[in-house]
Amino acid sequence: MVPYEYYVALSGLLMVLGLIGIAVRRNIIALLLSTELMLNAVNIAFVAFDMKLADVSGQVFVFFILTIAAAEAAVGLGLIMAIYRLRKDVDTETLTELKN
Amino acid sequence: MELTAFWIFSSLAVLSAVGVVFFRNIIYAVLSLISTLIMISGLFFAMGAELIGALQIIIYAVAIVVFYVLVISTVPEFKGKAFEPKFILISLPVGFLIFLELAFVSLYGAWKSNTGIFTPEVISEVSNVKAVSTVLFTKYLFPFEVASLILLVAMIGAIIIGKKEHVIDEEAKS
Repeated sequence: MVPYEYYVALSGLLMVLGLIGIAVRRNIIALLLSTELMLNAVNIAFVAFDMKLADVSGQVFVFFILTIAAAEAAVGLGLIMAIYRLRKDVDTETLTELKN
Repeated sequence: MELTAFWIFSSLAVLSAVGVVFFRNIIYAVLSLISTLIMISGLFFAMGAELIGALQIIIYAVAIVVFYVLVISTVPEFKGKAFEPKFILISLPVGFLIFLELAFVSLYGAWKSNTGIFTPEVISEVSNVKAVSTVLFTKYLFPFEVASLILLVAMIGAIIIGKKEHVIDEEAKS
């Protein structure tokens, strides 16, 4: 048996990598990819704590997270398509109408 | 055996996640994301969560990634700089601090939660799939129905957002 701490540390590492990706990247699609990484980190933590606590409720919540991730990808990519059609650009540095 | 599986899958997952964050070409980033998702699914199988591992492959690594590839194929190549250079220097130490905090809170926090009834003996008797789906369709039935509603709303929203603004309706004109 692998101690559950290893899985929790892996989950924290993936979460931080996703966070760095959101801070660093400039392509909007890459931001959505980093969001998927963070959602997966949460999934790992849920299943690891399930293993520790001898329960299966966390896996049910992972199922819900998968559902929400699919909805998020559909709506987010639809928004990106709409933005691209309007502006011909997906760079976060130039899409700054809401600033100021 | 499980420890070997953990080290292989987790090192490959972290390596691919670094690729997702730091590849300049977005296609390479999506391919790295597929690799990460499959490795995480392997971790789920190693933890004994078979249903979630299979769903991870089916939903994430197939359905969601296909969305991304379709959108990337319509949006042409990204021309600007891939990274914000001034944020790399800031975000790496801050990210390391957040990682330390997450690890500390998770490992030394007070996880005094109630343990459930699904001990490994029970899981080996009824399979993991049966245990998860029993809880899903009894205790969490209402959230399950709400999840289906969310998917419907997301589908309609994606169609309405993504369609072209001015579609000339030929039949209405004539």
